[in-house]
Amino acid sequence: MKSISLYVDNKTWLTGVHPFTKLLYIAAAISIPLIAGKLWAFGCCIAVSLCALAAGKILKRTVPLIAFSFTILLTIFLIHGLFHQGNTNVLFSVGPLRFYREGVLYACRIGLNILNMLLSFAILVLSTRPSELVEELEKRGFSPRFGYIINSVFQIIPQMMGTMSTITDAQRSRGMETEGSLWTRAKAFLPLISPVVMSSLINTRERAVALEVRGFGSKRKRTYLADRPAHRGDRAITICLLLLMAAVVGWRIGTCLLSK
Amino acid sequence: MSFIEVEHLKYRYPHTERLALDDLSFSVEKGEFIGIIGENGAGKSTLSQAFTGLVPQFYKGAYGGRVTVDGLEAGKTPVSALCQKVGLVFQNPFNQLSGARDNVYEEVIFGMQNLGVEREEMKRRAREALELLDIWQFRDRNPFDLSGGQMQRVAIASVLVMRPEVIVLDEPTSQLDPKGSEEVFAAVDSLARSGITILMVEQKIEKLAAYCDRILLLHRGRQVAFDSPRRVLSRGDLEEMGIRPPACTRICRELGKSFPDGTWPVTEEEAAELMRDLPKPLRAGGGEKEEGVRKPSPEEALFQIRQLGFSYTEGVPVLEGLNLDLDGRPTAVIGQNGAGKTTLVKLLKGLLRPVSGTISFCGEDTSQKTVAMLAGKIGYVFQNPDDQIFKYNVLDEVMFGPLNIGMSPEKAEAEAKRALETVGLAGREGENPYDLELNERKMVAIASVLAMDTDVVILDEPTIAQDYRGRSAIAGVIRDLKSRGKLVLAILHDMDFVAECFERVIVMAHGRILADGDAGSVFSMDEVLEEARLQKPFVARLCERLGCAGSCLTAEEFLRKSGYRES
Amino acid sequence: MKLFKTKLDAATIVLIPACIGINYLGKLFASFLKLPLWLDSIGTCIGGCLGGPIIGAICGAANNLIYGFTAGDNITLIYALTSLGIGLAAGIMARLGFMKTFPKALATACVAGLVAVLISTPLNVIFWGGTTGNVWGDAVFAATQAAGMPVLLGSFLDEVVVDVPDKLITLLVVFFILKGLPKKLTALYETDAKIESLD
Repeated sequence: MKSISLYVDNKTWLTGVHPFTKLLYIAAAISIPLIAGKLWAFGCCIAVSLCALAAGKILKRTVPLIAFSFTILLTIFLIHGLFHQGNTNVLFSVGPLRFYREGVLYACRIGLNILNMLLSFAILVLSTRPSELVEELEKRGFSPRFGYIINSVFQIIPQMMGTMSTITDAQRSRGMETEGSLWTRAKAFLPLISPVVMSSLINTRERAVALEVRGFGSKRKRTYLADRPAHRGDRAITICLLLLMAAVVGWRIGTCLLSK
Repeated sequence: MSFIEVEHLKYRYPHTERLALDDLSFSVEKGEFIGIIGENGAGKSTLSQAFTGLVPQFYKGAYGGRVTVDGLEAGKTPVSALCQKVGLVFQNPFNQLSGARDNVYEEVIFGMQNLGVEREEMKRRAREALELLDIWQFRDRNPFDLSGGQMQRVAIASVLVMRPEVIVLDEPTSQLDPKGSEEVFAAVDSLARSGITILMVEQKIEKLAAYCDRILLLHRGRQVAFDSPRRVLSRGDLEEMGIRPPACTRICRELGKSFPDGTWPVTEEEAAELMRDLPKPLRAGGGEKEEGVRKPSPEEALFQIRQLGFSYTEGVPVLEGLNLDLDGRPTAVIGQNGAGKTTLVKLLKGLLRPVSGTISFCGEDTSQKTVAMLAGKIGYVFQNPDDQIFKYNVLDEVMFGPLNIGMSPEKAEAEAKRALETVGLAGREGENPYDLELNERKMVAIASVLAMDTDVVILDEPTIAQDYRGRSAIAGVIRDLKSRGKLVLAILHDMDFVAECFERVIVMAHGRILADGDAGSVFSMDEVLEEARLQKPFVARLCERLGCAGSCLTAEEFLRKSGYRES
Repeated sequence: MKLFKTKLDAATIVLIPACIGINYLGKLFASFLKLPLWLDSIGTCIGGCLGGPIIGAICGAANNLIYGFTAGDNITLIYALTSLGIGLAAGIMARLGFMKTFPKALATACVAGLVAVLISTPLNVIFWGGTTGNVWGDAVFAATQAAGMPVLLGSFLDEVVVDVPDKLITLLVVFFILKGLPKKLTALYETDAKIESLD
């Protein structure tokens, strides 16, 4: 069954790092440049993320993620480069289009921020098994009910996709067209989506029964199959990240005080 | 006091008028195997859920009387506590997995985690249950990638690890292929021997009769009988309650062969014992020889399939070098899941394109046609009705296909009404299909294809979830289509139904056709059935036991051939 | 009936992943059929209408958080707030009886659309400088910027053009689906259901 999770267990050190360490890294990577307020800070964080991804042998698989948000990055550059409110100095022009320095700089800031977020998230997303993240959260007191919701989404979506192709076949068998004008396609929307929505909702009734008879409503403390082996790097990375964040906050406060 | 006590149990679902359970009272001893029978809507599933406390705690509604299991009152004990006493397994293998675990081992552990069972104990119990049900080797697989029978055994294992003293099984084999049902029955058998109390709802009466200590017969929510299988199945009014007695009971009843206490035999063994000294039906090789494999001539063939090959992924052929002509005779395709049956009919319907070879329909190559062009000629009823239903009343749903293929609204409505009449849903045109039960929704799906008035009707597993009445209705549909000169092609897992309704039987395994002929000749090919892992119809097995193997396949044929009834 | 009363039992817990799956499918179908809409909040609205505002809000927020944290689509992460708002709005409207008839459902659609616009606009401005990533909406935004209108107004118009029609269609679909659901199922979500005695 095809999973929607992007995780692949390639047995590198990165997959062994505790999910919480990766979460902390995301927090650090996003907050440090924003607190520092300098463009080069984004660059540093992006560079660190890229190194981590390369070391985890998952650099190649970040490409589709970046490609995914490429269009939004492009529109940001176009719209702000051309029409940004503070535009005064022309940077360069392509044919009749004039790109302004202020707009492009503004777009750069937004673009780097997006890229930075994307890459720091990619570390977590590509190297962590979702159910492991959930289990660790549950062990630290996260509600098992919410844990169930997250795990279940990963199972339910591939199932629904499978059903969807059967439904498409079933409705085409009854002479329904799925291609053609916008009206034809729009008309096909309800016969296609309605059966899968209805049956997945109706199935929830049996699924709920299945959970009930397996003690889902029990108030007892849950037990787990295994403890996660501690990773040697976890402690060191965590301390470094916390120190760095503290340093940036300190530096920022310091510069503010000095400038006054 | 008995282990399970049911006293004046009454229950009504919310927003309904009728009592789903109406004054049931009985008791079950520890270690007993109880069968529960009745037509669809008799209250069997509701009763199953009453043992686990889901009725009324989960469904709410109106409740009266008491159910106690080992001193615990099911109506009031929280379900999460009661589930350690009573386990429940139901029909659909998909929906009873937690849906939150990505391998079999963790799936089985899920319930114990909820109850906070200690780690080493969890591992021990999981291993024990997985080995008992013979699925230890699948422990690292994703449960949703398993076959129905395997999945159903995972479901049983995950209930078993909670260490219940009672297991309630609600039609656990109704959605499985013959192999899957065999696996589950074998699992139930090993449970029974371990001394656990079993309550099993089942449509396969022959199976129940062989296993049960006692049978509870329900009809419209009322308790009609609770007695030994022989006494219950010897009742004269079973058919009126939508239950067909086992074939051997029917035969013995016609023959007047009863036990001294006036009951009829209900298992093969019992029947063979009583019938030992009776005249046997004639062998097929005797006076009344059935005609052999009749090859249709090319001009009467609707479909001509030549050297057909197909694969979903390159290098893994699903069908290979298939040659077949299909004429107007009702034809059944049998074989295990994965034999390529559904792939074959999808190719015929044009939903898939052949990788090699050709299919021609009425002399024209189908690869030149789109699904939409074939829609008006070839109808295809999918296995799961929920994959197609989307309208909010039955009539609209049935008219969707006819309107799509260009029928006028008046004609479409007339066709739809006629189709609903044939499947036994006349008068229910205005209902919401989702308010109907699964077996009725299946009939809506069949009607929605019948109404398109196509030359060919393909049915994928039409008898799933149907009781005796439903099966008779489908048999009627097949007869009606045949009399109107239409080809019926059905994929089936119910061998008795195949023997009763089809003139031609095609056996498939591993993407090839192993045998092709009338039911009589196909079901006498032991090696072929062995290779395709199929069982013979029930009466054929009875004949083997009587020493007249291969003579007949259905109770009616048995009586006719042994001279007790005029044909 | 209490507006925010919520059951958090197996039935509602199981409803949430189903709704999140429906969101995903809606989005997929819209792109499969090349419709110029998102249709990615059908499930959230169903969750809100069946389970109440709290369940709707959980469906919406969990939807974006899960995709953000596990499928790498972290742009949606930011819009968890919007989804939460949509689920909450649909849930409140449904509890007030605004999903009972077709015209009332249209009102719900407008409310949900406006909530989406009000929450998304500031997010758009903060994170992307005002664009939404939808071609039609961004064309409007570009036009307003070229005309020298304030970013906030431009972004607001951008959102209105995208979200209001989208929510109209979404809630139409939801309305028809809810109408078709069997009573057997909807009865599970009634917060005031009691066990009646037949003794």
